[in-house]
Amino acid sequence: MTAPGAPALVLQEGEFRHQETFGPGTVNRGAVLLECTWDGGEFESGVMLGGVFRSGTFRGGVFWGGVWLSGSWVAGDWEHGFGPDGAYRPRTDHP
Amino acid sequence: MRVILASAHRYADLARLWHRFALRDLVPALRAAGAGVDVVLFRDAAPDAFDPRDFPGATLLAPGPGARDFLEFYDAALRREGDVLFLLDADLFVLDGAWAASFLSRFADPSVAAVSLLRRTEQPGVYALLARTAAYRELPAPVFAPSYEAPGAPGAVNRQPGDRAALALRSGGLTILDVPASEAEGRVSDFHGTTVIRASREVFGASLGPRFDALLSEKPYFAMGAYDNLLLGALHRTVFGAPYAPDADGVHLGGSATEETLRSALARVSDRTALVRFLAYADRSNRAAAGLFAREGLPFVPPRLLPRPRGWAVRAWGLARRAAGRPA
Repeated sequence: MTAPGAPALVLQEGEFRHQETFGPGTVNRGAVLLECTWDGGEFESGVMLGGVFRSGTFRGGVFWGGVWLSGSWVAGDWEHGFGPDGAYRPRTDHP
Repeated sequence: MRVILASAHRYADLARLWHRFALRDLVPALRAAGAGVDVVLFRDAAPDAFDPRDFPGATLLAPGPGARDFLEFYDAALRREGDVLFLLDADLFVLDGAWAASFLSRFADPSVAAVSLLRRTEQPGVYALLARTAAYRELPAPVFAPSYEAPGAPGAVNRQPGDRAALALRSGGLTILDVPASEAEGRVSDFHGTTVIRASREVFGASLGPRFDALLSEKPYFAMGAYDNLLLGALHRTVFGAPYAPDADGVHLGGSATEETLRSALARVSDRTALVRFLAYADRSNRAAAGLFAREGLPFVPPRLLPRPRGWAVRAWGLARRAAGRPA
């Protein structure tokens, strides 16, 4: 049984996901996501490699080469990526 | 004419190889062609790993305001004093410096904005680009940065570094010369993805554990980068007597993939099309490496990663496919 308020899906360290979409209720705690879409949920740690961040909260981990469309940036390492206008944002220039 | 030879490097060992070839084969040729030359190396990510004594004759830069990463560095290099900015990739080596330097004369034509010695995509790229600084400085900053058009949409277009600049200059009536690949063959040795696999292992190799090595079987780009690092690593170890792409324990190639790791990964690949493509890529890389080894006066023996019977079988299958008009 899932406790009320518990995340529906927790991605863990050691996991590698490719071209998947993760919605609200997902928490990343260390997985590497290659060319995935993050659309809600909490990104606590891990790596977002390419892909699109549509919504949710980035609380930690590495953002590397993806497109940031919307969402909340709290903390983490912005290696590089692109803003909602498609413009390049270099290292440390997080949303 | 003043030329700024600029290159961005994440890893000091590859930079050392690049510097050796550039200072011996390219810079003297540019000077012989009448150019003053400034060599600028950008130390991306870990500047302290670069020993300045290994890079005589070069200005070493580190990330900072205006050049926070290697792509911003390209624009910072454009702002330096010079007539031609020569961007040269970290894993690209010019063997025939006189040939490369001969293209400086093309800038006598005021309509020539750039010469690309190596094009990998539809646009000239910034892999080996001689750019007229006056023309590129006219463009809105950032000049060389990549970008997305319609980001997040199904038809999003990813413009690679230098693409927007090339499109703007050409639409403005200026010329960017693309040197045919056949002309560059044997004069330029280029390798692919050598930094990507190392940076990937550095950033998330530990968290993925053994799963990381499985990526070599699944992602051709990783296997190709690992293969190129095998070749460059062999050269580096012979020339400098030091491990290349070491892991935290100092194991040669442990920061990329050792020969045994790559051999095991290829043994797990059952897709013959993928293997045919890998072998074709390896053949191309072998030719590139042979040029580097020959320049050093060293024999080159390519590593054998597939058992001979399997390698023959895969090549025969690929040739049969090609003969049937269905290339792998």
